[in-house]
Order: sequence, then structure tokens, then C-alpha cells
Amino acid sequence: MAFAKPSIPSSVADRGALLSVQDLRVEFWTSRGTIHAVNGISFDIAPGETLGIVGESGCGKSVTALALMGILPRAGRASTGTVLFDGRDLLKLSDKEMRDIRGREVAMIFQDPMTSLNPVLTIGRQLRESIETHFDMSKREAEDRAAELLDRVGIPSANQRLRDYPHQFSGGMRQRAMIAMALACKPKVLIADEPTTALDVTIQAQILNLLRELVAEENAALIMITHDLGVVAGMCERVHVMYAGMFMETGTTRQLFAKPRHPYTLGLLQSIPRLDAARKARLHPIEGAPRDMLHTPAACPFQPRCRFEVEASSQEVPPLEEIERGHNVACFNPVPEDEWQNLRKQVVAP
Amino acid sequence: MSIAEAEALELSIDAPGGLWAEAWHKLIRNPGAIIGAILVGGFVLTAIFAPLIAPDDPKAQNLDALNHGQPVGPSAEHWFGIDTLGRDEFSRIVYGTRYSLLIGVVAVVIGLSVGLLLGAIAGYVGGFVDSGIMRCMDVMLAIPGFLLAIGIVAMLGPGLGKIMIAVGVVNIPIFARLLRSSILAQKQNDFVLAAKAVGVRGRSILSAHILPNAISPVIVAATLAMATAIIDVAGLGFLGLGPQDPSTPEWGTMLTDANNYLSIAPFLAIIPGLAIVLSVLGFNLIGDGLRETLDPKLRGR
Repeated sequence: MAFAKPSIPSSVADRGALLSVQDLRVEFWTSRGTIHAVNGISFDIAPGETLGIVGESGCGKSVTALALMGILPRAGRASTGTVLFDGRDLLKLSDKEMRDIRGREVAMIFQDPMTSLNPVLTIGRQLRESIETHFDMSKREAEDRAAELLDRVGIPSANQRLRDYPHQFSGGMRQRAMIAMALACKPKVLIADEPTTALDVTIQAQILNLLRELVAEENAALIMITHDLGVVAGMCERVHVMYAGMFMETGTTRQLFAKPRHPYTLGLLQSIPRLDAARKARLHPIEGAPRDMLHTPAACPFQPRCRFEVEASSQEVPPLEEIERGHNVACFNPVPEDEWQNLRKQVVAP
Repeated sequence: MSIAEAEALELSIDAPGGLWAEAWHKLIRNPGAIIGAILVGGFVLTAIFAPLIAPDDPKAQNLDALNHGQPVGPSAEHWFGIDTLGRDEFSRIVYGTRYSLLIGVVAVVIGLSVGLLLGAIAGYVGGFVDSGIMRCMDVMLAIPGFLLAIGIVAMLGPGLGKIMIAVGVVNIPIFARLLRSSILAQKQNDFVLAAKAVGVRGRSILSAHILPNAISPVIVAATLAMATAIIDVAGLGFLGLGPQDPSTPEWGTMLTDANNYLSIAPFLAIIPGLAIVLSVLGFNLIGDGLRETLDPKLRGR
């Protein structure tokens, strides 16, 4: 069977890839054996673009982010693959070269602003640190820049707040400060690892708006890692759905939300509670638990939990292939195109 | 006014200072710590101004003052009495403060500096380095501290400097273990990962991010170790491993001298004993106070 190659998304074709990941694999050595956390993922992202990576806990989203930044824990290793940025393979750089890239070219926003700031250092000191690490600036200049950054992320009376400690900031303000730190050196790629998970809903919207504005302003590429499909729908142009360290379905947000073709994507959409659902309507969780990551998948990793499985599912790994322009699915028996629309009609109250 | 502005306003009201400032505020409200500070402060002042406080030379013998060759109890002239060689006991205690504090500080500094270095390396580098260092520390911990100190003095020979080293060495594994475990706990923190993600060098991460967060249990332990060091040094002095010049007014040595006169002049043992107890109590009270304010488990958010 000849498969069509996954297509190049139009955004990347137009603007050129800023960061290009090819066949990235990440392994962890543990006492139980080698954990295969990421199993050959490829993606490109263009400047000014927002790419969403979604999947449930433990599917390898955060590990992907850490691998891109080169800050995997000691037991972890990016075993194969390339991460091309600016003509260089980030995985092959020395520690020192990678340190110059981190924060300067590629920056990251972490999930929990409560624990991601050092409690014994002032906000200003932590902001200055990221500036002084990469630029030859006097303390004065760095201080001014830090105040400017805090002001930019919407923290009032920034000059005074620089002298505050993290515990004097609320959760939302801390995440703003984290964003300011990540943006300190105007990075070209920003990786946001569940930036709003630890925040309450009203603050979430503020933070997402802020991120959107800043990315547009700097023409940076944003990789949005999340398990919240609502966040993806609001923020991202393209979405990659991840399961067991592989991409199951990739496409534009519109394509995935209107016509999910992979059973896993469908399952994720079905498990979102809807406000307009009929009162008696039940939620449809995905049955079973994610697969054990001790072996590289020899078959479709989602097969044991899938109601669309066919014989081939348990025999080989389905390749990611194009089914319409820009929309790729790794499945031997994709969900019918109108399945989700039909299911939705049943759920919504008459 | 935006939500963020409102939050900022609300939070800026009565905002306490940093972690250390907050700890200080709590500490000066802790009665135990205050009593400890007064005791220790008193001993420190005594040590510094010993020549002004002591009425006599602590080494000057005045055999005429003895009562038929026996020590004389406390009197208006000699507050703590005179010892077996006619020396003024009060002056000896006052000068002894210098020895005890100096020995305690030096011993703790030796243990602390070596222990912190080893603990920091073991905790931050990890792997084989960690196992290697910590197994050596375990071996040292397996030998009872005082016995180890006696062993080291036996090796180096007796003397004031030697017992400082001995007591210091005994303290090394305690500090190394403590700092290592504390660093291991802090290393897992998100802010360490966040600092790495910004491109901060490993060395600055250790010194600016991990150590300041990991050091507070060590500060507590160091204060408490001062107390144990004073006892250990007095103990070694009592066993005759301390200063070899018998005229040195060291509290432990003074206890040994008083040993043979316990029945006729118990004050010669009680007074240096009290001095030891009070200084140890002072350091313990301060240490407990520090623990209450710095312990992450007791520290409120």
C-alpha cells in the first residue's frame, strides 16, 4: 500500500519553517527498563504561528518540550531525530552552545507559576537574571528592561513590584511574571507547557489573550502544549494530537474540531462536558488507560481502547498519512467524516 | 481598574519583606530564642571584654590565699572562690569563655565548610560522585562522634588546636548529609528547571537558586552543633586531651582539676559546669528558635 506523505502545512510553506523537528524520539532509563516517552514525532512551525500539541497526561507532551529545550532530566535522552533551528541541529549542540540558545532563541513558560519562581529571590532579580545571562547589560539597564517587561505583561506599578517576592504575587500575576521572564530576550520560539492549567478560568482568559498579543507583536512561533481542547480552539492555527509519544492526527484547528478522523481525537472531543447538552446526556470517557511505555509500539498504540479497530491495527503501526490538504491521520480505519457532527446532534438538547 | 491592578493594590497592603526578613520578624517574637540570644550574647561580651571584667590574672597563683593548702569558697573578694593553686576562679571562668566560644566556633566552621562543600558536590553532581562521598560520610557516622574525636586527637596528639580539628571533623558528615538531602529536595523544584530554561549556568543555579533555599536547615544545625562542640571540647579537655598547659583556663580542664577536690570544694566543679550548661542552653534555644522560623514544614505560605 502506498501512503501519501504527510503534507507540508500551508503556513510553513508560505513563511518557511522556523523550527523543524524530524523523527524525534526520547527515552528514559528507569529501573523498570527503558521508557519510550516520545516515539518519532515530526513537525514544523513558522514564525508568528501557534501550534497546539494536545493529549492526555503522560502522552509525552511535556517531555517533547523539555527535549526541545535540551533540559531533559538526567535519565532522559533524545535518542534519534533532529531539531533544526536557524540551520543548526539543537540536539547536537554542546552544553555551552545550547545555554546560549535557551532563553535567548527558544524560551519556555511552565505549568505551575506557584512553584516556577524562586521563593527567596525578588521578581526583579529573577527577571534580571534571564536578561543578564544573554546580554551584556549593566544592572541599571537590566533593571529598566525588567520593569518594562513587567509593565508589558500588565502588572501595574512595575518599578515597585520588581522588589517584591513571589509570595506577594497572586497566581495570575506570577504567571504574568513567568511570561515576562520567558519574553525577556525576545525569543523566536516560545514553548508554553500548559500555561493556564494551574489558573482559574477568568485568569486563564487574560493570560491567553496576553500570550496571543505578545506572539503577534514579536512574530514569534508559539508551541502550546495543553490537554485543554478549549484553549487549543481559541489559540492555535494548527493542532497535533499526541498519544503514546506519537502524533495520531494533525491538521488545522478547524479541520480537527469539525471533522475529527482519528478515533482518539473523536474520543477527546466526546469527553468534553457541554453546557448545551441535554440534561440526561452522559459524558463519554475514553475507556481504559494509556498504554505502558516500556516498549516502542509495534501496533497502533490506541488499538486496545479503540472501537474502530480493524485487523491491521494490532499488526502494524499506522503511518501518518494525508487524507485532505493539511489534515493527516495515523489510522487504518479513520472515523467517517460526518461522525462527529452526527454524534453532536444527538447530544445537544432539542 | 483591571483585575490585575486590583489584585496588586490588595496585595501591596501590609506586604511583608523577603523570606529572611520574615524569619527575623518571627525570631524576635520567640521568647526561647530571645533568652538564648541573651545567654549567648552575654558569653560573647564576656569573651570580648574579659580583661576588663576579670579582677585578676587567670594564671596568677596566690598560694597565700589558700586555707591551709585548701581552696577557699566564694567570698566578696573572690566571687567564685579560689582554686587549688590560689587562682581567682571568677577570672578563670571569664577567660575560659574565650576558649570555649573560640573552640566551638572554629570547630563548627571547620565542619561546616568541609561538610557544605562535600554535601553540595554530592547533592548537585549526583551519580558516582554522590555515592562515593556519601559512603565515606556513612563510615564516619558509623563511629560514635565522641569516640571518633578521641581517635583523631590520639592520632594528632593533644592540644587546643588539635581538639578543634577533631570536633570539626566529627561534624563534617552531619553537615554534608543535611545539605545533600536538602539540595536533592530543592533540585526537583520547578524554579530550578525554569532557571535552566532561561539558560542560567549550572554553577549559578546551584549558588543562586538551590543553596539559598537549601541552607536554612543547615543554619539551624550549625547553631545546635555549636552547643555540642562546646560539650565535646569540654569532654576532651576533661579527659586530658585539651590544652597541655595546666594553667590554661579552659572549662573542661578546670573540671578535671576540680575532680580531686569534689568533697571539700564542690564549687570548683559546679561553677565551670554551670558555665558549660548555660552556654550550651543558649545555643540550643537559639537553634530551636531558628528551626521554628526556618523549617519549611513549619513555614507558612
